[in-house]
Formats: sequence, C-alpha cells, structure tokens
Amino acid sequence: MNQFHNQRITGSVSSPLPIIPSPIEERYPKTLDSQSFFLERELRSNPVNPVQTPFVSNNGIFGPLPSSDLDAAYISESSNFNASYPSSYSSYPGTDQPSVSNYPKESTELAWHPEPLQRVLDYPDNPNFGNNLSHGVNVMASDEINKQSEWSDLMDFMNGNWGELQGDTNTTESKPEVALPADQAPTSFSVHHPQTHPSVPSNSNDLSAVASPSSSATAAPIKARMRWTPELHERFVEAVNQLGGSEKATPKGVLKLMKVEGLTIYHVKSHLQKYRTARYKPESSEEQRVIQVEETKSLDLKTVTEINEALRVQMEVQKQLHEQLEIQRKLQLQIEEQGRYLQMMFENQNKSIHKLKESASLEIPIDRMEISEKDHSETENHLHDKGAAEEVSKNKMPKNDDGKI
Amino acid sequence: MKFGKRLKKQIEETLPEWRDKFLSYKDLKKLVRLISATHPSPDAESEFICLLDSEIDKFNAFFVEQEEEFVIRKKELQERIKMVTEIFGPAGSRPSEAEYTTAMTRIRKEIVNFHGEMVLLVNYSNINYTGLAKILKKYDKRTGAVLRLPFIEKVLQQPFFTTELISRLVKECEDMMDSVFPSAAAGGTADQAAEMREAESAVAAAEQSIFRNAVAALVTMHELRNGSSTYGQFSLPPLGSPDSDLLQSLQLPSPIPIQ
Repeated sequence: MNQFHNQRITGSVSSPLPIIPSPIEERYPKTLDSQSFFLERELRSNPVNPVQTPFVSNNGIFGPLPSSDLDAAYISESSNFNASYPSSYSSYPGTDQPSVSNYPKESTELAWHPEPLQRVLDYPDNPNFGNNLSHGVNVMASDEINKQSEWSDLMDFMNGNWGELQGDTNTTESKPEVALPADQAPTSFSVHHPQTHPSVPSNSNDLSAVASPSSSATAAPIKARMRWTPELHERFVEAVNQLGGSEKATPKGVLKLMKVEGLTIYHVKSHLQKYRTARYKPESSEEQRVIQVEETKSLDLKTVTEINEALRVQMEVQKQLHEQLEIQRKLQLQIEEQGRYLQMMFENQNKSIHKLKESASLEIPIDRMEISEKDHSETENHLHDKGAAEEVSKNKMPKNDDGKI
Repeated sequence: MKFGKRLKKQIEETLPEWRDKFLSYKDLKKLVRLISATHPSPDAESEFICLLDSEIDKFNAFFVEQEEEFVIRKKELQERIKMVTEIFGPAGSRPSEAEYTTAMTRIRKEIVNFHGEMVLLVNYSNINYTGLAKILKKYDKRTGAVLRLPFIEKVLQQPFFTTELISRLVKECEDMMDSVFPSAAAGGTADQAAEMREAESAVAAAEQSIFRNAVAALVTMHELRNGSSTYGQFSLPPLGSPDSDLLQSLQLPSPIPIQ
C-alpha cells in the first residue's frame, strides 16, 4: 500500500494511482487560535443536529446581509480537499481530535470518524456568498420549476416527503447552493460576521483574509484556491488600465490598486499572466485555419448562411446540453438531500428504540435516561455503525444484484 | 460496464487538454474490487478516501482554473464585440461589407464556441460527480460501509461541483448572442430536410472538437439515463428530452482522432 505514497499524480485514466497529498502541517497555519476558539464556542452552541443542507438553509442568516452585485471572491484555505476529518480539526485546540502532527501517515489515526464529520457538516453554508450569487441563480430557479415537477412525478417511489422537499427546494432554490469547502470557510465567516464594511467587496473579501492568514506574511507557499468572479475581474481590469495596460502593469501595482483584502500577489500574478495570454495569444490554429479558408472563399451569401446555420445548430445542441446538465444537477442535489433526510429519520427511529430498550431492560433513574448533548453524538456514532448494515440493505432494491456497472 | 465505457468515450471526444483531468474511474473500480469484502480494513478505507481526495483536488484545480479563464475570456469577448460594433456603427469608420461580414461571422463563431466550452466544463463537473457517486456506491456495496452518504455531502460543496458561476456565464453568453445576432434565435429554415442536411454537414465538417464534444456529451447523457440496471433510490430518472430527433441526426461517425 505504500506505493500510493510514492507515485506522482498523472491523472490519466490508466495511470498509476495518485500520491497522498503533502502533510497537513504546511497547509493549516497555526495562527488560527483565536478564531478557532471562537468557532469552538459556536460549535458548542449549535446543538448537534442533522446535516444542514444548502437547501434547507437558515433564511434568517441570509436576510440581513446586504445583497450586492459584487460577488465575493472565494478563497478556500485548503487547496487540498481532505475528507480526512481529523485534519480539519487541527486548528481547534479545544477539541479532543488528534492533532495535526499525528495526522498524515499513521493509519490508526486515519480511521473513519463519523463524529467529527457530523460537526463539519453542521456548519451552515456561508450565506455571504450565496447572497451575492442569488440574483443569478434566481433566474434559473423559476425556469426549472416546471421541469422539476415532471421529474418529481417520475420519482414517486420516494416517500411522500418528496413533494414537500420539492416545495422547499424550489423556494430556497434561489438561495445559495454555493458553499465553500466546509473546513475553513465557515471559520472565517463566523469570525468576521460582526464587522460591517461600507463597501461590499472588502466585506466579502474579509473572508479570504482569514482563510489565508499567512498570505500577507509569506510568499504564498500555501496555494489558496481562489475563485475569480466577473466583478473581481472587473476591478482587476480597471487597475490594469490605470497602470497603463496589461504589458505595463505589474502584479504589485495591480494588487495595491485593487485594494482587495486577502488577495495575494501570487493570485494577481497568475491572473495577470492569464489575462495577457487571452489578449495577445494568436488565434488558435483551428480558428486560423478556418478563417483562412473563409477569407479565400468569396464570402457569398450562401457560404455565410451555411456557416450561420451550422453555428445555430451548434448553439442549439449546446443549449440543450446545458439545460439537461442543470436539471441533472438539481436532481442529484435533491437525491442527496432526500438520502440525508431518510438517514436522519432512520437514526431518530433507532435512537428511540435504543432508548426504549434501555429503559425497559434496566431500572435507570429518569435523569440518567435523558441523553445529554455530549452523549448524543456518541450515541449517534454507535447507531451509525450499527445501523450501517441495515441501511445498506435498505438502499438496495432486491432484484438489482449485479456486480457490474 | 456502462458508465465506465461512456466515460471513456466522453474522454476520447473531449478537448485534448482535458483528457487527463477526468475521474480515474477504472482505477478506482479496480481498487474497490481488491478491497476484501469480508474484512474491510480501516487502512483500505483510508487509502480509498485518500485517492478520492486527490481526484477531487484534481477536479477542483482544473475547474477553478478553467473558470478563471472563462471569466477573463468573456470580458474580452464583450470588449471585442463592443469594439466591432463601434467600428461598424454610425460613429466609426465604415469598412467594406465583406469585412463587416467576416468580422461578425468570426465573432459569432467565437461566441458559440465559447459558449460550448463553458457548457463542456459544466458537463465535466457533472460527469465526474456522477462517477464519484457511482464509485462510492460500489464501495458501500462491496464493504458494507456507509461511506457514500457523508462523503458525497462534502463533494457537493466542492468548487468543481458548484457550477453556478459558469452557468451564469453561459446564460449571459446566450443573451450576448441574442442581442448581437437577433435573427439567429429565430427558427432558421422552415424546411426540415434542409435543416437536417445542414446539421449533418455541420457535423461532418466539425473539426470543431467543441461541437463534437457537446454532441457526444448529450448522447452520453441520454444513454446513461436511459435505464440503469441498478436503478435505485439514488438513481436519476431517464431523460425525457423532446429534441431527440435533433440528436439522432447528429450521431457522430466514428471518432476522428483529434490532435
């Protein structure tokens, strides 16, 4: 199994298996103590409840935030997706999770931890981002409602809650589905939530500041994953133009002009590079070939019509594909939500059975029977394992027992 | 074998730079098979998770980078359109008709291709997600674990799956198309046969890997959705697309190696 550690990521279908990402110590700066403490308190105050979904979101959170046209730039701390949950707790000194240094190679530590998972998933999605995007997503939502009802009919083997979910998801559809990777972003958000900034950009980019706290300090060994939005790009272009154009502008200058907190020179540099390429790159060989052909032919009406027709068809196909993709994605989200819901129901059911058994078999004083907040998660842990086998069999339809897909 | 084959076919048709960015479905499937069904060790599970993690990293990195480029390109496209319409507008100098036509056609082509590339990125995201979901299902089935549900939760929040921005750009692109070429939206020729012929010639002439890829993607989606052998509560229903005739006429000949 050690081979996994040594091979490079090639990524092609028949390639050898990729390496395990570099140790977490580099990735998670140790400077998050104050923030992590804050978060720790937040954790405790939130009862461990079933997974919060993007759809069934706390509308209350979204309300007060100013909606604006400027989208936030997301910077996620982890360029590395780690489902290895213990690591995401490295910054929480208060918890009893294994510390950062223990994480990487020890197989015992890497055992599946449902409990921390539960907590990670408890984070409400970052409302700030969603809010900014909502105006765009709104447009989509109303279009999709009709189509969705079609699918809901087809999926009537799901229980009656489907209809309710449908209603829920449609109305909350406009709410952000976008959320940062759960590990770091909520951290940053909860810390900066109290702050109000007059200009939205700096507000939204506060997040990024916290998410990559070392950005100003070091020369970015941490490659924070930044998502450029059109609005952010707009500011970039403005800054570049002010500095005399993409050739003249320097990353440092642009960074200064943009005044976006959390943006690093590294980000600007790579973006500038891309920008320059986009502007001055000679047209792709394919296009060039076609254009030469076009220009040698006399552009009579017939040719133009043909080309236009071909383009129209192409556009049609693409539009169709996109539409289908959107529908598919929504369905996938709904399926998962349904699954979560069922899981929760199942666990609740198990819990009450467990409770009943306990009270029946032993003579326990009443106060001990009540499951405290702390025990709750541990119990769930148990039930999770116990219920696992049952859940698996529940998910399978009896006749579908082939080994292949 | 269905998904694996479809994925492979999709990858063949895809833009060359994208080829190694897709899910290593086959490899993961092999791994799952190797994992002992009777004694699934926590080691094996963590290895599996690690692999999935790195796959997801791969997706994220690629996706975010593409997204960034699209953001830049879209702005550039807008600028160019503005420039061209100004030049040929009342205020600017008025070069010949031919040049106008050339320029406009070029722009039209660019918009359509740009649109296509973005849609393909969304497709990329989706197909990888589907693959992940499937492989997780296989894992659960094999080992009796319950890895799938919680793991997929996290996947749902990954950058590569949150395609809202790209979808928005796609829509904006369509609007751009409509506003610059208002007649383009109209139904085109009333003659159905002629339209089909156009479509066929378009495909035949389509060195346009974008177009081919889009068609392939649509076809793949159709096939994937048309009844699965393990239809369960986590499966998607079949596609009910009314435009399947268009699709039929666009069936690709055997793939021409695109280099």
